[in-house]
Amino acid sequence: MRTPLPTMNEPLPTASPAAEHPPARPDVVVRLEGIRKSFGKNEVLHGVDLSVHQGEHVVIFGPSGSGKSTLLRTINLLEEPDEGSVRIFGVEYGPGLERGGTRGNAIELRRQVGMVFQQFNLFPHLTALGNVALALRTTKRMGRNEAEERAARALQQVGLLRWAAHFPGELSGGQQQRVAIARALSLDPKVMLFDEPTSALDPELVGEVLGAMRVLAESGMTMVVVTHELNFAREIGDFMVFMDEGLIAESGQRGFLDRCENPRTRQFIAAVL
Amino acid sequence: MSTLVANYDWSLVWEHRSELLHGLLTALEVAAVALVISTAIGLLLALARMGKAPLSWFAVIYINVFRGVPALVSVIWVYFGLSLLVGISFTVFQAGVIALTLLYSAFIAEIYRSALGAIPRGQREAGLALGIHPVRVFARVILPQATKIAIPNIGSMFIGMVKDTSTFTVIGLLEVVRVTQNLNSTTFQPFVLYTAAAALYVVAAFGIDLLFRTIEKLLATPPSGRVARAVSRRRRKRLEAVMLRLESASSRT
Repeated sequence: MRTPLPTMNEPLPTASPAAEHPPARPDVVVRLEGIRKSFGKNEVLHGVDLSVHQGEHVVIFGPSGSGKSTLLRTINLLEEPDEGSVRIFGVEYGPGLERGGTRGNAIELRRQVGMVFQQFNLFPHLTALGNVALALRTTKRMGRNEAEERAARALQQVGLLRWAAHFPGELSGGQQQRVAIARALSLDPKVMLFDEPTSALDPELVGEVLGAMRVLAESGMTMVVVTHELNFAREIGDFMVFMDEGLIAESGQRGFLDRCENPRTRQFIAAVL
Repeated sequence: MSTLVANYDWSLVWEHRSELLHGLLTALEVAAVALVISTAIGLLLALARMGKAPLSWFAVIYINVFRGVPALVSVIWVYFGLSLLVGISFTVFQAGVIALTLLYSAFIAEIYRSALGAIPRGQREAGLALGIHPVRVFARVILPQATKIAIPNIGSMFIGMVKDTSTFTVIGLLEVVRVTQNLNSTTFQPFVLYTAAAALYVVAAFGIDLLFRTIEKLLATPPSGRVARAVSRRRRKRLEAVMLRLESASSRT
């Protein structure tokens, strides 16, 4: 059942200010094409294209209701697009399939794509360790001991091993979000999606979550981040996408935030920064 | 006045304690068996009601019909009516369990419906995003949380079920009221005997309340109370062992 990953021969993109992408990079891991999505009669995505390359950090920003979260959620099919296709690791999903395209299994897809939510969404009835171990036990068929050891190691990576036996209700927002990051990372995803990971946090707790994400970015993980933290975006982002009213209004490489031309983008950046 | 008081022979209660307690035990057994089956059926009904059209209609009709039927009517209908329809003559115990299950599965369906509705959508999404199969997301993420919310109400249902067994005296189930009636017919002490019967129900209700409070504490996060602490102590030990192994492993490297 498992889809073979495209082999990666290219070195990871360096953190130096990148030159323009070569026109057709071979290492695209996620390609969204012509994505349209409606909730009832209200269409929130009007045909969006987006490619994410191996090791790239894509930052999506824009005003509320512009469709950023919905777009992110189509990548792991939490939202099924009404039109268009999602191609990820060479497997296609969605109604806009080319003929002969391989139709993939959403459950298999999600095992390779980690996601972190705005509201953390930890399971409140399980300890921090139990939160991480649950997915390991059910998706990797690990035994209890193995899953708990792997989970403990994941918590250690985000500096929360000491809190393993605590329930989410006993942790601060920042700690909960770090547990959520550990939970997603423990499954060894190939891509990590972040849906406004710091928007629900008290300002003083934002730093610890961004810190964990920075470590992850430096390790070369492919990341798609929806965020309002534009300073952080400037720091880790390789490719910036400004969304407005269900479309990508403007996008560009590293440095885009300082030289974008669309007045709407400039206005938004000025308001947020 | 004093002669009247002298006529109340309270020693009867002690004398017939084993019959009375046996009656209570029967009532508790019928109610407990019915509770387990009702909870299972109630959960299925709740899912059916929240589900797609033909099945949800069936659930709505079932719930609204059986919530409206009194226990007395239900047990007479099962014992004398349903048994003819299906050609099985139920024992009084079976008839009691079926009668209660028909009624209380409808109530518990509503309890579970509201409990399942109270779980934030993000819980299911987080489970799915981890690549957990939707059925397992329900079983391991949604259901435990919904059950925790439903537990106090299910406890109230259990108390109601025990009380409703009193109507099963009409089919001859030897529960508390039937036992009391039998004793009364030979001793003519209705005030004493029915007071004792009432006291038994109250004691049962207290006991059930205590039981469900304990379950609530066990399910609390973190678990609270003496029983819960004893149960969770073992789990905590396991965790500490895992952490120790890990810490020693990382300090070696």
